[in-house]
Amino acid sequence: MAEPIIQLENVQLTLTSRAGPIDILRSVSLSIAAGQSAAIVGPSGSGKTSLLMVMAGLERASRGPVKIRGRELGIMSEDELAVFRGAEIGIVFQSFHLVPTMTAHENVALPMELAGASDAFVTARALLDELGLAARVDHFPAELSGGEQQRVAIARALSRRPALILADEPTGNLDGKTGSQIVDILFGMRERVNATLVLVTHDERLAAQADRIIRMADGRIVSDETTRVPMRVVLP
Amino acid sequence: MTAASAVAPVATPWRTILRIGTRELRGGLKGFHVFVACLALGVMVIAAVGALADAMRAGFAKQGETILGGDMTFARMHARAAEPELGVFKLLGALSETATMRTMARRLDASDQALAELKAVDGSYPLSGAVKLEGDKPFAEAIRGVSAVADGMLLERLGVRIGDTVKLGDAEVTIGGILKTEPDAVADRLTYGPRVFVSMATLERTGLVKPGTLIRWRYAVRLPAGAETDRDTLKALRQSIQKQLPQAGFTSLDRHDPSPQITRTLERMRQFLILIGLASLLVGGVGIANAVSTFVDKRMKVIATLRSVGATGRQIFGIFLVQILAMSAVGIVIGLVLGMLIPEFIDRLYGEALPIRAEFAVSPRSLVVAALYGVLAALLFALWPLGRAEHVRASILFRNSAQAIGGRPRGAVVAAVVILTAMLLGLAIATSEPRILAIYAAGGLALMLAVFSALGALVTRLARKVPRPSSPSLALAIRNIGAPDGLTRSVVLSLGTGLSLLVAVALANASLIAELKGRLPEQSPDYFLLDVPKQEFAGLSQRVLERVPGAVFTEAPMLRGRLVKLKGTAVEDIKAPPEAQWVLNGDRGLSYTATVPEGSKVVAGEWWTADYAGPPLVSFESELAQKLGLKIGDAVTVNVLGRNIDATIANLREVKWESLAINFVMVFSPNTLQAAPHNLLATIRLPKETGRAVEADLVRDLGRTYPSVSAIRVRDAIDQFNKVFSKVMTAVQVAGSVTLAAGALVLAGALATAQRRRILEAVILKTIGARRRQILTAHAFEYALLALIAAVVAIALGSLCAYVAVTKLMEVGFVFSLITVVQTLGLATALIAVFGGLGTWAVLRAPAVPYLRSE
Repeated sequence: MAEPIIQLENVQLTLTSRAGPIDILRSVSLSIAAGQSAAIVGPSGSGKTSLLMVMAGLERASRGPVKIRGRELGIMSEDELAVFRGAEIGIVFQSFHLVPTMTAHENVALPMELAGASDAFVTARALLDELGLAARVDHFPAELSGGEQQRVAIARALSRRPALILADEPTGNLDGKTGSQIVDILFGMRERVNATLVLVTHDERLAAQADRIIRMADGRIVSDETTRVPMRVVLP
Repeated sequence: MTAASAVAPVATPWRTILRIGTRELRGGLKGFHVFVACLALGVMVIAAVGALADAMRAGFAKQGETILGGDMTFARMHARAAEPELGVFKLLGALSETATMRTMARRLDASDQALAELKAVDGSYPLSGAVKLEGDKPFAEAIRGVSAVADGMLLERLGVRIGDTVKLGDAEVTIGGILKTEPDAVADRLTYGPRVFVSMATLERTGLVKPGTLIRWRYAVRLPAGAETDRDTLKALRQSIQKQLPQAGFTSLDRHDPSPQITRTLERMRQFLILIGLASLLVGGVGIANAVSTFVDKRMKVIATLRSVGATGRQIFGIFLVQILAMSAVGIVIGLVLGMLIPEFIDRLYGEALPIRAEFAVSPRSLVVAALYGVLAALLFALWPLGRAEHVRASILFRNSAQAIGGRPRGAVVAAVVILTAMLLGLAIATSEPRILAIYAAGGLALMLAVFSALGALVTRLARKVPRPSSPSLALAIRNIGAPDGLTRSVVLSLGTGLSLLVAVALANASLIAELKGRLPEQSPDYFLLDVPKQEFAGLSQRVLERVPGAVFTEAPMLRGRLVKLKGTAVEDIKAPPEAQWVLNGDRGLSYTATVPEGSKVVAGEWWTADYAGPPLVSFESELAQKLGLKIGDAVTVNVLGRNIDATIANLREVKWESLAINFVMVFSPNTLQAAPHNLLATIRLPKETGRAVEADLVRDLGRTYPSVSAIRVRDAIDQFNKVFSKVMTAVQVAGSVTLAAGALVLAGALATAQRRRILEAVILKTIGARRRQILTAHAFEYALLALIAAVVAIALGSLCAYVAVTKLMEVGFVFSLITVVQTLGLATALIAVFGGLGTWAVLRAPAVPYLRSE
């Protein structure tokens, strides 16, 4: 098995509320190899999105180390996490979260611009062309369909060739047909950039396309099935 | 790329931040209307004040020569220039001599008389500009022979026309023309009566020029064509004349500052209005902070998105700072443009009433100062809420939940806020005179902001602890007041600060008016008599007593002289505090007496004996002495009638000026001045029951019997002053209400911010069966409670600020005005009723479906 890109050991996430502390994740241990795709499934409130947020460094674990590519996220400052995320992790959201005042082209170029890349717009344009959005580059999010918005979001998540792609219900806001297209694109692009993909979904058919299916309930991993052995795809 | 290198922050070029930030501007002014309006209002006032002062200054610079009547002037009281002195002036260029004095103009039949400001001129007058008469009659022709040109008001008062003859002193003078404009009127100071022009020859015929008469001789000089007339050259020339005539005692001026008094007044006005502008900027700052908070709140998801794609806190701060700066630029530009237009507007309305014609020239300095105030205020109030944007976490994108952004921004932002506060205070102090005014004003404003911020938090907390009232509407109102993200804080802060400022201005105004009106003592005289010859005083008082038994007289010798040196230092080299500067400028009334004058009390040193015959001694007014750094034993040099007199300060007096008894800053030992030719200044206090007819008859008789004596009715003089003063105070109140306008803007902004939440709440309430009336009553309770709390504290705080300003800065008594309090409460009610009412109307009319769907 390839070297793990994600390592969680007995990770606990406890949030405090007026009613008292709530355990969101309970002793979660997980290791995902580089190049693997994994689907996290489970009922609402099972902790799957929280697990994704912990992996993205957006939520700090209350206990237990969270390592991405060997780096411990718990000891990084907010800004270090942001920089690390920008370089290593691409996130795709259920609600797309494109910046409404920016065109598709600008949205995709944004992470590269923030990283100081000089060819941000050239790379962004190439990605949009590849995703079939050549005619939509100068459109604002409000002028795009849901599927188009999600394609732009995927392009943005992949723009810096991250080692890890995290997707939260990427088809949740889309109709069935568009959702299937997005899934194909997401998996296709993952292979194209040779990234690890972790996605949260309610959709069993979507989950079935992943190398692993991790089931959660009540903040715990209740099953972890491998559907196929991952293959490292080497780019030409 | 390795993981280690991935964490090293990349230094993003500022151009990238600027480019990304500029994209955010595509949303336009949406959400920034209050921000822009608050900033524009404050900058507008500061720019308008600057532009108005510039216009006046430009007017002075351009019209200086005409206002002064030449390139420079030399003036002194009593003594006409002697031939050698005239010779020195003539070497400079063309020369014109004028003499001004107060006298009575009388009808030939002695049936009526009026105070007149007589001005005698030579053939060269005016060296610059022209005297314009009605019917465009040539001036020289109108005063030829024993003729006079008079202000139409005088003719009206005496009931005479052109061609009629009036009496001035001993001379019968024919009215040759009616005065329309006088070029150098401003240079001849405040006048109590209408102007009358005569020739020098006519003045001599009047017999009014006697030793000791209060007459001001002025010599205007125009340099030859092509001569340098810049500020330094003229100053150097004036100084060289003063050196050539060291004992002459002339006060000199040049075209660059033809009236230091008006320049000073304009400067004071400018400083006061700048403080008003600053106050409105600071009140508006609350609106700016609210707007930025709301903006950050609305952009939270975008900020979180930026976070999720790798933006650091600094990058996010930079991106949104670009937008804040762009919006600030819009507000500042609007403020500057409006500010530049206002003086033009004022000129159209009140141009005629201003002492000089304003010349509209935009000074870069004024614009830069106004813009700087705007930038500093915008950043000061925007940085804190903007700094909090860095706390927004990307996790909200997953949870789809709003995160309350609180906490303190990072250290660098806090430091920037502290530095900006210091810079704003520094700028206010640097552009204020006296400096203490800015310090007090800044302190007052900081106190107001602090008190109302704390009050808002306290009211919110208390509302949460209040037991639930049985009335559902009142319960809803109290719950709204206690809501953590409710309107309470912003309404209390904006309404409270605006009202406090208004109360402070109104109470300061009331105190000043009360000081002028109310403190006029019962014992105040009814008439001042000028130029009473010493030997005629006994006869004059006897005559008055025969007509009005019970009349009370006071009299004092009166000369005019100019302070030349204090403790051996020339007054030109003394940097006195502004409130004492007037003593050093121009000539002052001087007197001598063997005993302590009425209305004075010796507070230090000893009064001289009645038969004192030693070296000259002087008694100085204690407060001014302190401000000028004088103490007992110090030397004071005054020039009287072209002679320098050195005297030693023997004692200091506390003077009750408001008693209107005759009093002087400097009173000398009798042996110092009694040999100099002089007249008396006298007052008459008539018994209360004296009728108007008897009074008029008395004044007529005095005029007939003592033609050289001028009688000024104290009430008339005070009324005239009050008229001018009330106009000034109205202007001050109008300017002060700008701060309230800023408060209203902030209030409107705060209410608009909460509007969506209010509508959603109302929609839910309606859905579950609440009637419109219940919602309306709940809102009315909420707004009424908040307005009442804000107004009560505003009255207390405004009163405190007014008390400090009135007693410590203006040094007059504080008067609490109930009317002001009632007006404030009324205004608070009106403001909240208008803005709150409009908001509630929109809330009640809002359809339910779109709001329910979007949630």
